[in-house]
Amino acid sequence: MLVLMDTIIHYFYFVMAGFFAILLLKNLFKRERRKGLVYDIVYSYVIMVFILRVIGIK
Amino acid sequence: MYLQTTIIAIIMVATFALASWKLKSPEISMVITAIVGALVGGFGFPSRLLVEGMFTYFDVGMIFLTASIFINIYSETGAMNALVRWIVKQFYDRKWLMLILLGILMIIPGALTGAGSVSIFVVGGLVASVMNYMGFTKRRVAAFIYLFAMLAAVSPPINLWAMLMAAQANMPYVGFNVVLLVPIVIIALFTIIYTGTSKTPERKNKEHILSELPLPPEGMNWFKIITPFAVLLVLILISKFAAFSIPVLGLPLTFVICAFVSAMMDRKRWDVRKWFGVMVKTMDQVFPLLATVISVGALVNIMTATGVRGLLAITFITLPMVLIYITALLFAPFAQGALSYGSAIILGTPIIFLFNSIGLNVTVTAAALSFLFPLGDCLPPSRIVGRLTVETVGYEGSYMSFLKAIAIPWLFMGAIGLLMLIFPNQLDFLVVY
Repeated sequence: MLVLMDTIIHYFYFVMAGFFAILLLKNLFKRERRKGLVYDIVYSYVIMVFILRVIGIK
Repeated sequence: MYLQTTIIAIIMVATFALASWKLKSPEISMVITAIVGALVGGFGFPSRLLVEGMFTYFDVGMIFLTASIFINIYSETGAMNALVRWIVKQFYDRKWLMLILLGILMIIPGALTGAGSVSIFVVGGLVASVMNYMGFTKRRVAAFIYLFAMLAAVSPPINLWAMLMAAQANMPYVGFNVVLLVPIVIIALFTIIYTGTSKTPERKNKEHILSELPLPPEGMNWFKIITPFAVLLVLILISKFAAFSIPVLGLPLTFVICAFVSAMMDRKRWDVRKWFGVMVKTMDQVFPLLATVISVGALVNIMTATGVRGLLAITFITLPMVLIYITALLFAPFAQGALSYGSAIILGTPIIFLFNSIGLNVTVTAAALSFLFPLGDCLPPSRIVGRLTVETVGYEGSYMSFLKAIAIPWLFMGAIGLLMLIFPNQLDFLVVY
């Protein structure tokens, strides 16, 4: 039972990473603060980290 | 080899300074520094090293995100305002008791999780609000919150620096409770006195403050105020003391569960659009920190690959003993600023071996070092806890003025750590098994 729950939690973390990637993507295109090009780049590589986690590469 | 690595280190420092100055973004400056370091070190464009590095502190970033979502949802329900009102009503005229209680409140989350940042996320906002209403200046509020966040991270049962050093040096993580708690009490008392004796120019009377504070929403009661924190405490304690009877939750999921419980305490609990809005705002608020931990991971990975990280450690531990004592207050915090918890492994463990070989008590030494490393959580390049404190308190001055504001209690904590490092055998009576 514990093993099954651990597995569910393991996959839940992927879902969580995906959800945060969506929030970041929304903020990349529509945000109130830090609007410059520099932060476009910062947002991009931070989103990339979350996407890599979701697709299980890292 | 030394010369080549030293040149790389100098170029990396210069790049970081230049990029920070021109781009005004510490996050991208760290990534640019990492790329330049790799190019100079002969690694070409380091895609693999960058991506690997960015995942180093990914879990820490997840904790920041979920903890902030929890506390923002909790605030959105109105429970935070109700709690602040109650604290002001009960303790406004008893300043010292209030400061002691706020200090204890700050220490609990960090002591249970090993991260001072969690303390700031979970209760930092509440503590800052109460202290602001009591009339303390932002400088003193920032110093209080930063110092107690550091003490929370050092406090047993979870002291990550001591645990990492103990694991690396093949020594058991036992006997640390008293040797950590005694200095923590001394530093905490100093910080409370330092804060409490300061002037409170913005102090207003209690009735005026209560009229300014928003009224709690209809139906708010103690059950709704306490339940989310009670669930958090229970989940953390169960994870620690009944680890083999429950699945591995991890702190991010623990905070998500607490966020859900908080939302359920609200009258409009199924208003998904409202909660989604809170989460979008939270992401915007936490983003600089998230980007910092991801960028610093990439930088540290390149520092490792080029040998700069090793160069720093070797330079320090091959110094004569007297110079180690003299420079410890400089090297240990800056190592923490650059390597985060990696400082305990890179610098801490060689020092443990060195001190052990000359017959000094290693438990006191590890405890002493665990007081010196967290001092660097406000130093570049990462500045994680420092920046978090600035954001939580709403400190409006420059970052340099924040460092000046925390200087006195910071130096006191450093002096205590240094004394423990210099006299480990004289303090071995504090090691109680």
